Amino acid sequence: MLKFNRIAIANRGEVAVRIIKACEELGLETVLLHSEADIQSRAYRMATHKVCIGPAPTAESYLNIQANIQGALAMGAQAVHPGFGFLSENADFAQACTDAGLVFIGPSAESIRVLGDKVSCKGLAKKAGLPLVPGYEGDDQTIPTLLKEVDRIGLPVIVKAAAGGGGRGMKLIKNISEAAELIESAQREARSAFGSAKVFLEKYLDRAKHIEFQIFGDSTGNVVHLFDRECSVQRRHQKIIEEATSPSLSDDLRRQMGEVAVTLGTLGKYKGAGTVEFLLQDNKFYLLEVNTRLQVEHPVTEEVLGVDLVKMQILTAMNSFVFSSNEIRIPRGHSIECRVYAENPYMNGVPSTGLLGTVQWPEGPRRRYEFGFEKGDTITPHYDPMIAKAIVWDESRPRAIEKMIRVLKDATIFGVHTNIPYLIAILSHPEFINGTMTTRFIENNFAEGLKSFHNEDDRKKASQKIYKEMLLQGVGFERKQALQSNATLQSPWSTYWRGV
Amino acid sequence: MDSIVIKSELGSDQNYLVEKVGQNLWIKFQDQTWCYEIADLSAEGQRRKKSGSATPDMIVAPMPGKITKVFVRSGDEVTVGQALLVMEAMKMEYTLKSDYATKVENVNININDQVTVGALLVKLAKSE
Repeated sequence: MLKFNRIAIANRGEVAVRIIKACEELGLETVLLHSEADIQSRAYRMATHKVCIGPAPTAESYLNIQANIQGALAMGAQAVHPGFGFLSENADFAQACTDAGLVFIGPSAESIRVLGDKVSCKGLAKKAGLPLVPGYEGDDQTIPTLLKEVDRIGLPVIVKAAAGGGGRGMKLIKNISEAAELIESAQREARSAFGSAKVFLEKYLDRAKHIEFQIFGDSTGNVVHLFDRECSVQRRHQKIIEEATSPSLSDDLRRQMGEVAVTLGTLGKYKGAGTVEFLLQDNKFYLLEVNTRLQVEHPVTEEVLGVDLVKMQILTAMNSFVFSSNEIRIPRGHSIECRVYAENPYMNGVPSTGLLGTVQWPEGPRRRYEFGFEKGDTITPHYDPMIAKAIVWDESRPRAIEKMIRVLKDATIFGVHTNIPYLIAILSHPEFINGTMTTRFIENNFAEGLKSFHNEDDRKKASQKIYKEMLLQGVGFERKQALQSNATLQSPWSTYWRGV
Repeated sequence: MDSIVIKSELGSDQNYLVEKVGQNLWIKFQDQTWCYEIADLSAEGQRRKKSGSATPDMIVAPMPGKITKVFVRSGDEVTVGQALLVMEAMKMEYTLKSDYATKVENVNININDQVTVGALLVKLAKSE
C-alpha cells in the first residue's frame, strides 16, 4: 500500500469542497491550489493548506501544469486530485505529476491518452467492434476539408473539441451556410478552454437520449461498472439535470451497454473512476466518448448504490481498494441532480455575477447539496457559471422529482440570479415526468428561456411597499439608519408589536 | 436575511424574505426570487423618470465579459439577425445580433476589450 497523508487539489468550487470532505473523512490533509480570484470561497476556508498558483485567467492558474505541480510540491503534498474540468483529463498533467514524484489520483497518463482522447478512443472501440456514431476525426483541420466532411456525414452535424468535454467548444451545424462560422467558433472556444483548437465532426442524432455508465477500475486492474445515469436534459450540450438510473433502459439493454463500457475500460487498462457515454436512439446505442475522470453528476450514482466514489478514487491511488468478488450491486430507488447555474433564466440564461447574499438549502432526509460559495463570496465572470448542485434520493422516480421540486422552491439564493425557476419548469414538464426526453428536449421546449408571468409594474410596486415596510420596521438595515427613517414614518402597528 | 410580513389586499399575512446585498434589495416570496436596485425603490427613485433603458438600436453588453470578435464597422448595412459581435463570459460565447435591418452608426469596442454589464457596444441607426 502506498501511503500518503497530504493531497493537493488542482481545482476549485464545489468539487474542491467535495474532495476536501472525502480527505477529511479519511484523515488526510489537503492543499488547495487556487487562483487569486478564489480566496473568497468555501474550499479556501476548508483546506488545511493553500497555495496561490496564479492570477484569475485559467491559462495562468488552473490550466498551468507547472504552477500546479510546484504548488503541490511546495506544500509537501504526495498526491494530486484533479477534480473535473481543467487539467483532469490532461495526460501531460498526469505524466508531469508522476515525473515529479506525485501520485495522480486518476487513471495513468497512458489510459487518458488512449481513452480520453476521443479520436484514439474511437479507434480502440472500432478495433473491438463496439458501436460508434459516424463522423470525422482526421488531422486535417482546415476549413475546406471540414466542410467537405460535414457534407459527407450529412446534416445535422456536431463540431466538438477533440480535447474537451462539458459542452465547451461544441457547436451544432444545421445549415451548410453557417458551417464555417460555427467551426471557427468551436475552434476558438476549444483553444481557450483546452489549449488545443483541434475539433472533430460527428453525425447528430436528432432524437437520442444521453446515457452513460460509471466505470471503476480497482487497484488490481479489475474494471466494473456501477450502472447508468441519464443526462438527456442538456442545453447547448451542457448537462443540466442528471439522474440514476436511467428510466429508459430495459434490463437487456442495460446489460449490453454495461458490458461495452467494461470492455472499453478493460482495454484502456482503466484505474479509478471514469464514465463511458452513449447515445441511445430507437433502442440502438452508440459509443460517444469516455471521460477519464470523476463526473460532475457522480453523486446520483453514489446515492442509488451507497458508495463514495471520491474515497474509492483516493484509496485506489493508494493501492488499497479492491472490489470483492462476491459483492452484488443493485441500484436502489432513484436519484436526481440539478445543476444550479448563476444566470438569469428570464433573460435567456445570461450569466449573473456578483456578491452572494444568503445561500440557504432546505434540510431534510436524503437531500444533498454540493456548493463552493457562501454568503459574502463573489461569483466572478472568470469561471464556469455552475455554483452548486442539489441532489435528492427517493424510493421512486416520481417521488424523487416531487422532492427535487420542493427542495428548489425552498432554496434561497440571494445576490445572483439562478436557473432555479428554469429547473422547476423542466422538472414539471410532462416529457420529463414520463421520462421520454431526448437531448433535444430543451431546444424543443425551452428554446426561448423562461417568460416571467409576473407583471413587472405590480412586482415593482410590491417591492416598493416591502422596502418602505423594511424602513418602518427597521429591518435589514443598520439600526441608526432605521431610526432616522422612523422619525417621520412611525407606524402605530410596528410600535404596538414591538411592545409585546 | 430578514423576514417581513405584509398584509395582502385580501388581508392575509404574506411573509417575504428580504436582504440587502450591495446596492440591491433581494426578495423571496414562496418560490419566487427577484431583486431591484434600492435606488429604484426609495421615495426619490419612485419619482425618477424611467431613463436610458436600452432600445433595439442600442446593443449593450448583457453580462460582464470579453469581446472576442467584431463583425461590423460603422457605416455597415446589417440585416435582420446578422451577427454584430461575439463576447465571452464564464467560458461561453455569446453572439449579439441585430433585431432589424439597418445601418451601424457606431462601434464602441475593440477585440479583447473587457466590458461591464450594460455597456453600450454598438449603436445602430433607429428603424424608420
